[in-house]
Amino acid sequence: MAHLSDEDREHLRKNFSELERPVRLIYFSQKFECQYCETTQEILSELSELSDKIALKVYDLHEDSTEAEKFGIDMIPGLVVANEKDYGIRYFGIPGGYEFSSLIEAIIDVSKGVSELSEETKQALKKLEKPIHIRVFITMSCPYCPRAVRMAHQMAMESEMVRGEMIEAAEFPQLVQRYNVGAVPKVVINDTVEFEGALPEHIFLDHVLQADGVVRGSR
Amino acid sequence: MEGISFKVTKAVGEKDLQLEYDLVIIGGGPAGLTAAIYASRSRMRTLLVEKEAIGGEAASTSMIENYPGFPEGISGAELAERMRSQAQKFGAQIVLATPESLDLWTEPKEVGLRGQLIRARSIIIASGTSPRKLGIPGEIELKGKGVSYCATCDGPMFAGKDIAIIGCGNSGLQEGLFILKFVKSLTMVEFLPTIQAEQILQESMRSHKNVRWLLNHETVSINGEEWVESITVKDRESGEERGLPVEGVFIYVGLKPNSDFLTGQVELNEWGFIPTNEGMQTSVPGVYAAGDIRVTEMRQVATAIGDGAVAAFSAYHYVESNERKVA
Repeated sequence: MAHLSDEDREHLRKNFSELERPVRLIYFSQKFECQYCETTQEILSELSELSDKIALKVYDLHEDSTEAEKFGIDMIPGLVVANEKDYGIRYFGIPGGYEFSSLIEAIIDVSKGVSELSEETKQALKKLEKPIHIRVFITMSCPYCPRAVRMAHQMAMESEMVRGEMIEAAEFPQLVQRYNVGAVPKVVINDTVEFEGALPEHIFLDHVLQADGVVRGSR
Repeated sequence: MEGISFKVTKAVGEKDLQLEYDLVIIGGGPAGLTAAIYASRSRMRTLLVEKEAIGGEAASTSMIENYPGFPEGISGAELAERMRSQAQKFGAQIVLATPESLDLWTEPKEVGLRGQLIRARSIIIASGTSPRKLGIPGEIELKGKGVSYCATCDGPMFAGKDIAIIGCGNSGLQEGLFILKFVKSLTMVEFLPTIQAEQILQESMRSHKNVRWLLNHETVSINGEEWVESITVKDRESGEERGLPVEGVFIYVGLKPNSDFLTGQVELNEWGFIPTNEGMQTSVPGVYAAGDIRVTEMRQVATAIGDGAVAAFSAYHYVESNERKVA
């Protein structure tokens, strides 16, 4: 059975009509012990049918380990949203519930090849010196979470140094425990800086810069 | 296991900001969105500014059962999404941004947004409320480490755990019913000797066997090192204190107005809420307040939307009569 209603499809088709360059959904799955792998693949497949600009490629985490390594995927379900270039946009876990909207936005952003971040933020991101790894923990019932995820993904688009990951908390209890996640959205940057909430762009950026500073050892 | 849904929301329209609007609405909860619907239908050039998520506090309500027209109930976020699309359909512009400055005393009024100064011929303040903190030891220290103010957001992470909800008003019970889908047991703690929530919520809650009630109990502290391990409650009758092992504490003890940015701009009452007349007018001409931020008897979606409609009506007449003066 389809996950999207006819009305949703119609709406998304209209949205996707503004897509510019082709978008690749590179999806990593495995056949066993994965609660949401199948559902994730189904929804991605439905999305890819809505525009000829969206192509879905499915890999198996173990059988296609070379590809998994290339994209830095070590958990499933794992998704890369890319155009001809891989910006570092990742989803771990199912992008379901409210989080689905951040996936739609990521597809559109990537297809246009530009983010909607302010000029100031873009300039600041260009000066990053060290790799910045942003993890955004979410739940599917959290209406504030997509905003934080989109921020991380847009930052990934604007800087080669940034990788932005959505992590669906319920599917990765070990990570939840490791990063002490008790409220979402929770953002962890390079394991050194963390905060909770969908903060405004400039404050989010401050935390990223702080993580960059800590790495440089120039606190 | 419930089926997974995929919620399709339309991206908030990021059209370019204009330099002048007939109406700027601050806050994108039900009051602000309703004002946007009415104002844009009057063909006012309308901008709504929301800092966090469309829907405001209502967006984090898992299920609203008392909003007329939805006999099966509707989630706060879904309801907000419908209002948003309705407002945009009639031409209201909506942006996600935080006002950087505000001057209500100039004419037109001025709102600083994204580095620009926007002129507004009228303003509706619908900035709403945030959850109030208990102000007890451990609350701040363990926030995000077992202490939460949003069961809808954080509930799924407490699967199989023993948790407590502090506050037995409508919010506490509504969110309690949501979180019961995940948790092992739920203890409802209430300071007063009676439950304040609607009877129907109490009945639903009482049908669950893994819920226990501690009425007339004060929550004294939240305890734990890295994570919540227990709460200490005090029986207000006997004065006896005891620890209650829980791994999560959800706090629903009332609302705090989001009015800090209004200090010195508009009259606030001693609690920080905005007094208005029946037309939703504040102490400043051309400035209106609607929804939870207002001094009012009830803070519900059903009351907020009424406020929003009245405020938009008043703003329309204010702008129109000013126009006649100019002409």
